[in-house]
Amino acid sequence: MITLSGVVKSFDTPAGIFPALRGIDLEIDKGELVAVVGKSGSGKSTLLNMIAGIDRPSAGSVSVSGTAIQGLTHNQLAAWRGRNVGIVFQFFQLLPALTVIENVMLPMDFCGAIPARERRKRALDLLGRVDIAAHAAKLPSELSGGQQQRAAIARALANDPPVVLADEPTGNLDSATSADIFQLFAELGDDGKTVVVVTHERDAGSVVDRVITLIDGSVAP
Amino acid sequence: MIAPRWRKVLRDIAEAPGRATLSVVAMAAGVFGIAMILTSYAIMTRELARSYAETRPASATLHVHDLNDELLASVRRFPGVLDAESRPVIFARMRVGEDEWVPLVLYVVPDFNDLRMDRFTRSSGAWPPGDGEILVEQSSLPVARAAAGDSVTMRTPGGIERSLRISGIVHAPGLAPGWMEHSVTGYAGLRSIARADAQAETSRLSVIVAGNQLDETHIREVVGRLKNSLESQGHKVAFVDVPPPGRHPHADQMDTFLFLLGAFGALTLVLSAVLVANMIHALLTEQIRQVGIMKAIGATTNQIAALYLGQVSILATAALCIGMPLGYAAGRGYARFAAGILNTTIVNAAEPLWAIAIQIAVGLGLPLFMSLGPVAAVSRITIREALNNDAGHRPFGSRAFDRWLARIAWVPRPLMLSLRTTLQRRGRLLLTIGTLAAGGAVFISALNVAAAWTRVIDQDYRSRPYDVDVRFAEPYQVARIANIVAGVPDIARAEYWPEVNADIVGASGAADIRGRLVGPEASTPLLRLRMLEGRWLASGDEDVVVINQNVQASVPWLHAGGPIGLRIGGKELTWRVAGIAKELGHGAGQMYAPPRSILRAAGQTGDATRTVRVVTRQHDIASQTATARAIERALQRDGIKASLIQSLADRRKSFEDHLVIIKSALVFAATLVVIVGCLGLTITLTINVIERTREIGILSAIGATPRTISRYVVFEGVLMGFLSWWLAIIGAIPSTYVMNDMAGRMFTKSSLGFLMSPLAIVIWLVLVVALASLSSFVPARRSSRMAAREALAYE
Repeated sequence: MITLSGVVKSFDTPAGIFPALRGIDLEIDKGELVAVVGKSGSGKSTLLNMIAGIDRPSAGSVSVSGTAIQGLTHNQLAAWRGRNVGIVFQFFQLLPALTVIENVMLPMDFCGAIPARERRKRALDLLGRVDIAAHAAKLPSELSGGQQQRAAIARALANDPPVVLADEPTGNLDSATSADIFQLFAELGDDGKTVVVVTHERDAGSVVDRVITLIDGSVAP
Repeated sequence: MIAPRWRKVLRDIAEAPGRATLSVVAMAAGVFGIAMILTSYAIMTRELARSYAETRPASATLHVHDLNDELLASVRRFPGVLDAESRPVIFARMRVGEDEWVPLVLYVVPDFNDLRMDRFTRSSGAWPPGDGEILVEQSSLPVARAAAGDSVTMRTPGGIERSLRISGIVHAPGLAPGWMEHSVTGYAGLRSIARADAQAETSRLSVIVAGNQLDETHIREVVGRLKNSLESQGHKVAFVDVPPPGRHPHADQMDTFLFLLGAFGALTLVLSAVLVANMIHALLTEQIRQVGIMKAIGATTNQIAALYLGQVSILATAALCIGMPLGYAAGRGYARFAAGILNTTIVNAAEPLWAIAIQIAVGLGLPLFMSLGPVAAVSRITIREALNNDAGHRPFGSRAFDRWLARIAWVPRPLMLSLRTTLQRRGRLLLTIGTLAAGGAVFISALNVAAAWTRVIDQDYRSRPYDVDVRFAEPYQVARIANIVAGVPDIARAEYWPEVNADIVGASGAADIRGRLVGPEASTPLLRLRMLEGRWLASGDEDVVVINQNVQASVPWLHAGGPIGLRIGGKELTWRVAGIAKELGHGAGQMYAPPRSILRAAGQTGDATRTVRVVTRQHDIASQTATARAIERALQRDGIKASLIQSLADRRKSFEDHLVIIKSALVFAATLVVIVGCLGLTITLTINVIERTREIGILSAIGATPRTISRYVVFEGVLMGFLSWWLAIIGAIPSTYVMNDMAGRMFTKSSLGFLMSPLAIVIWLVLVVALASLSSFVPARRSSRMAAREALAYE
């Protein structure tokens, strides 16, 4: 499902070249729920960005659902991402000017994969699935952190992508809410979606199928 | 149902009403400026042309002897002539005060109910005038110091006086405004008592040609045939005047005015463009994170670009809806004001479609065009850059200049923080400074052009350091005049020059320009004109002339060292052009020649004079006026026929009055720029501060007081104002050069010369620094009073 071969990523900083990933080889199967853990600066978010096509590797290749994404153009990548990857951020990143349901409908609007007349119903279904259908007409600022993250997960599922990527989705939430969010990811895994979660949560291991630990840009043996 | 992405656009606008309003106001200010200038330009151009065409201006005027009704009828039947009218003109003077007279030009109209050409309309009073009455052109009333119903005294050059009643006021839009010319224009009937002095009257035959009335070659061909035909019938044609077809007597003045209006319109467009670029940049900067999110959930570059171009379109449409009607109202008001100055009337103040189309195209197109670059840059930004919020600017320290700045230790730390912050966001800095500099360049240019006009007038009047100009209707012995002048108090010096009417004869043999030759001594200190070509008169010169740039503009083949054909007293002579001088206030026709040559050509004795230049002891306006009146009394007592007695102050005022319309355009442009520029500056600096709210929060969190923060921000504003001032000076150089050159050539047929007004530069410095301080102060104070938590949470 997801294959990384010899992925290297370096950043040019005023202090010099910083190697964020040093030759990552990794395979994640369809329907697998994987947690990526490691210290700050170990390369967790960079690894996630490689899988999402947010960033391109300096060397090596990334293949998701059989697509070698490093070969795609900027626009192709955006269109591919909209249909194949749902992303959940630490700070929710809902658009403040749109209501919760509009935020969920937005990816459908961009990708056009879901017919226009079905979008609202699908968005409501997704919000129901994450238990915030009652808040559909509210603005993100009217929701708690946990509710916002649920809305962000619903948005990530808008176009029914096979892969869901989450970058420290519970980093801004209390432990009870974090547990609920991880439970949601587990359910997604049960539904056959491939879920990769970058996290600091120590007890994530009890929910996920596999834990990948990164140390200084390399996968720990 | 509106798609969520378009709802986002609408809500982004609605959710930040302050910022949206600022953006709309900034764009509306630009639209207002362009709409105002375009409206006044479009209305003025159309209405001036219409107003002049409606007077049915004559194609040519022939000075024909023995003109009678039978001859007039035959001229009307002449092939190529559409219509003809005989309208003699009387050149006299009108008394406006005790020993105070102004030139009076009276047209004798054969039939007031059948004005065939050079038409005028009744404004008030009786029409037609009776035998002891005249009609006065409305723009002359301030000069005449009289109103309808008043009686005035007219004096012919022959000294004959008549009391005439002003029976009515008329409007003649085809004539130069009397208040500018400092003369009174009026109309009298065929049997008017004003026709008392045959010597004062010139017989004129005006014709309108059939066919293309705007083709000067065609007009000259028809008029040439007519002249030959008249002369073959024994009627002497003294002079043929073919004015530039379709051009009002003050067309040069109007061209200059309209050129300046157009030039400042273009500069306002540049200012508006920079302002819009600044606004768009500010709008997009705060959207970068959202662009990253949208891209992360599948938005393509094109979709992002469409979203922001859509947002710009909405704001631009709102700006257009505000700026266009306001600009139209202001432009229409200005057109009416300018029309009043030019003695014309705006009948139709509707804006032509082309002007509306340009305003819409500019109002919508310019913001979209200026957005293309920033929108493309933002749309192409990577998700990582967008979410990290480090797009578009490298961190401080990544450039050699930053590191150099960082090593400077002697600058106080707060000041250094302001400096580094200002220089960190270079794109933003450049746009802000660019906005200020564009406004400053326009402002300085406007004041430079005004200052150049003043300098040209000063130079011209310094080149003729006398106080009173006296002209006689006929030549007098110098000794007689000198004796009279000697009896007038307060006169320090007087020079007695010969003068004679001399027409410049063109290649066709017809007289092209009615001129006069004045004969100062070569060494006179009372005339030191600046030479544009060739040289001034020299002692020992014979049969040479010095012409001015107006003469050369009318007869382009004349050049220094070349021949010039003159007709003096019916004799045709060929003299040589010694040089071309620059002088103001004289239309085409003023020439200077050695006194001996003039006297010989005119058949006069060696001590005849027709003009006196008088220098007063006090050399001020009061003594000029008093001396002019005293000379008037003295000449009258001795029966000397004076045709003109004019103080230099009056002449200068007359020329300056011609510039009122041009200076009004400059003041108009400068005011517009101050309004648009200041508004833009305030908005730009306000947005600058808004963008830095988070940074201000950090400063507040680490202990900076609101006063300290305000000081930093105001210092940055002043620093940007100061930097822009230099750029404004540099930007004003080419625009001043072009405008001074073009405006001068259009109106005075000679460049005004380059001039950077120190006053303009200083005024702009004071304005820009004051505005930068004020514009920064309010938002800085607001931000500095915001709690650190609020400021840090600010999105």
